[in-house]
Amino acid sequence: MTRTRTPGISRRSTLALMGAGAMSVAAPWVARAQAKTVKIGMPTILSGRVAQLGTSSRNAVMLEVDKVNAAGGLAGRQIEMVVRDSKGQPQEAARVARELVNTDGCELLLDGEASSGSFAVHEVARDLGVLCIHTCSEASSLTADPKQHIPNAFRCVRQGIHDSIVGGSYAAAISKAKGLKKWATCSPDYAYGRDTTGEFTLYLKRFAPDVEVISESWPKLFQPDYTEVVTKILQAKPQALYSCLWGGDLTSYIDQANIYAMFTQMEVFAVNMADYTALTVVKNLPKGIHSGNRYIKTYPSTPENAAWGDAYKAKYNEYPTNWSWQNATAVMFLAEAAKKANSTDGKKLAEVLAGLTIKCPFGADGTVTMRGDDHTLVGYAIGWGTTIPQEPYVPEVKAGDWKTIFELEAEWKKSKGYT
Amino acid sequence: MTELEAGRAQALVPVRSGAALHRYRDVLIALIAFAVLASLPFFTGSKALLDFVIRCSAYGLFATSLNLLVGYTGLTSFGHGMFFGLGAYSFGLIMQKLGLSIPVAFVATLAVTAVIAAVIGAICVRLKDIYFAFVTLAFQMLIHSTILSWASFTGGDQGLRGGIPRPEFLGINLANHVHLYIASCALLILGLLAMRQIAQSPFGYTLRMIRDNAARASFLGIDVWRAKLTVFVLAALFAAMGGMVMALFVSGAYPEFAYWTISGEGIFINMLGGVSTFLGPMVGTVLLLLLNDTVTRFTEYHGIVLGVVILFFALGLRKGLLDFVAEWFSQRRDAGEGR
Repeated sequence: MTRTRTPGISRRSTLALMGAGAMSVAAPWVARAQAKTVKIGMPTILSGRVAQLGTSSRNAVMLEVDKVNAAGGLAGRQIEMVVRDSKGQPQEAARVARELVNTDGCELLLDGEASSGSFAVHEVARDLGVLCIHTCSEASSLTADPKQHIPNAFRCVRQGIHDSIVGGSYAAAISKAKGLKKWATCSPDYAYGRDTTGEFTLYLKRFAPDVEVISESWPKLFQPDYTEVVTKILQAKPQALYSCLWGGDLTSYIDQANIYAMFTQMEVFAVNMADYTALTVVKNLPKGIHSGNRYIKTYPSTPENAAWGDAYKAKYNEYPTNWSWQNATAVMFLAEAAKKANSTDGKKLAEVLAGLTIKCPFGADGTVTMRGDDHTLVGYAIGWGTTIPQEPYVPEVKAGDWKTIFELEAEWKKSKGYT
Repeated sequence: MTELEAGRAQALVPVRSGAALHRYRDVLIALIAFAVLASLPFFTGSKALLDFVIRCSAYGLFATSLNLLVGYTGLTSFGHGMFFGLGAYSFGLIMQKLGLSIPVAFVATLAVTAVIAAVIGAICVRLKDIYFAFVTLAFQMLIHSTILSWASFTGGDQGLRGGIPRPEFLGINLANHVHLYIASCALLILGLLAMRQIAQSPFGYTLRMIRDNAARASFLGIDVWRAKLTVFVLAALFAAMGGMVMALFVSGAYPEFAYWTISGEGIFINMLGGVSTFLGPMVGTVLLLLLNDTVTRFTEYHGIVLGVVILFFALGLRKGLLDFVAEWFSQRRDAGEGR
C-alpha cells in the first residue's frame, strides 16, 4: 500500500511551527537576571486621542534620562527606560505596569497615565510595593484623599485645586477692575470638567462675592461640533466666560466660536489655553484670552526654563507640553533622591523623596518640593496671563501666590473630609 | 457559516445518544484542565504568566458567554460588555460599601446582574437581528453613562478608587497572587463547564433550533421569547463572573469596563476563535491577549497589526481559527476514510 501525502502542512513543519510559537510566547516570560542598569517602567498613552501628550511625556523623560546617564546614572547605575502604551485603558495600564515590574524587571515606575488609568496603576503600586511616581494625573483625590495614600507612591503633577485657587483669585481681580458680574461656564462633561469648574467658581465668588453664573454648558468630551454651545452662551449675554476645555476640544471650540466673534463680546478665561498643543493649533488665536500657564518657555521667565524649552524643541522639533515638564521634573526628583540616598532601592528613595526640595527650571522660585505629608508636588510655577496671536503667545504672566494656595487648599481638604 | 453549522448538526446526531457519557468526558477534561492550570505555579515563578491566565479567565468567561448568544442562539449582542462592567462594579461596590465576605458578594453580584439582565432582556429579545444588536448597544451606553454621571456612588470617570478589600474566606486570601490565580482558574473552569452543560442540554438544542428557524420552533410549541430571555440572563451571569475576575485583578472597576469597546472585543474574540465550536471563543481569547501583549511590547501601532489580523481572519480564512482547524481535521478524516 502506498501512502500519498495529503496536501497541506506536513507534521514536521507543524512541529517546527509549534516550537517556534512556544519559544516566542515563552521568551517574554523568562525572567531576566538583574542587570547593572536600573530599569524604569513607564506605562503611558501612546495611541488614540491624547497620544500627543503621552509622546511628549516620553520625550521629556528621555531628554532628562540622557542627562542623568551622562552624569553617571542613578547611584552609579545607568537608567534604561521601558515605555509602553496603555491605550488609555485602565485594565491595560494595570496589566502593563505589572508586566513592567514582574517581567521586564523594572525597579521603579513612572506612571504616565491620566484619570482612571492612574488609579489603576496606583493599585498596582499598592499591591507590588514598587516605588511609583505619577506624572500626568491632575485629579486632586489621587493624593489628597488619605484612603489613597501609600508610602511608595508620589505625584509629580500640577493639581486642579491649585489651578482653581489661583485662577479664581486672578479672575476676581479682573472682575472687580472691569465690573464683570455676569459669568458663563463651558466645560467638558466629566469629573475633571465638573470639579475644576465648580472649584473655580467657588473661589471666584469668594474673592468677588457679587459675581453671578448665569449660564452653564457641559459639552461632551471630544465633541466635534460646538455650535449649540456657542449660540447658547451668546444668547445669555454674559460679560465673562470660564472654560476648562483642553487640547483638541479647546482648539475646535475657539475656531468655531471665532465665527460668531465671541471673543470680542466677552472676557474669556480658558485655564488650559497656554499650552503649545493648543496655542499653535488654533487657526486665529484671539488676542486677550486669559489663561493659566500649562507649559510655556517664557514662564517662569528664567534662562533655565527657556533653555529647557529650546533644548526640547531642538531635539523633537516641537514645543513641550504640560505633561512634559511634569515628567522631566519626576526624573529630576529621582536623580536627586538617588544621589542623597546613594541607592536605587525604592524604599530608601521613597524616604528621601518625602519632603525633598530640588532645584528645577519649573519652580516658582527656582525650586519645587515633594510635600511630605501627602506626597504631592508643590511650589511649581503657576500663574495667569493673556494671549497674543504670535510667540511668545503669553507675554506676561501674573504669578499665583503659594501662601494663599496652601491656606485655601488646607480649607478645601477639610471641607472634603480629607483631614 | 450556515454550511458549517449544517455539517455540525449532522455530526451531532449520534452524540445525543451518548449524552451521559459525553457529560462525564467533559467533567474529566475540565478536571484535567484545572489540574494542569493549578499546577502551573509549581513549575514557573513567572508572575506575568499567572497574570495572563487570570486575564484569560476574565475575558474567556465573557467571550464564551457572548458565544451562547451569538453562536448558539443567533442573537448578535453589541452590548454584552455592560454585564462585564456591571459585574465588576456590583462586586467592587458591595465589597467597598458593605464589607461582606467574598462568596456572599459574589452571589449578590450574580443576583443583581440577573435582575437587571432580566429587565433589559425582556425588552431586547423581542427584537431581531440589527434591531436587537442596536438596542443592546443602547442599553450598554445607558449603563456606561449612568456610571459616569453618578459620580458620588460610582466614582464617575475615575472609577472605584481605593482598592477592593479582599478579606480571607475558607483559608483563601485573594490578595495573594497565587490564591487569586487558582480562584480565577477555578471560576473559569466551572463557568466553562456550566456553559458547556447548557449548550449540550435539551435547552441548548432548543437554542440552536431557534437560531436556525425560530418560526418552526414556535410551531413546535416552544416559547421562543422565554428561551431567548433565559439564555440572555444566563449569558449575562457568566459575563458578570468575568467582570468580577477583572475587578479582582485590577483591584478596582472603571467605566471602560462597561464601554462598547469591551463588547467589540468580545465580538472580535469570537471572530478570531470561531463561533461554531464551544471552545472557539476561549481560543480567540488566548489569541487576542497574546497578540495584544506581544504587539504592544514592540510598537505603539498595535492597531494596524490587529487590523491586519482581523482582515486575515475575515477575508482570508472567512471563519475563526478553531472553525478552520475543525474543518481541516474533518476534511482530512473524510479523505482518509475515502481511501
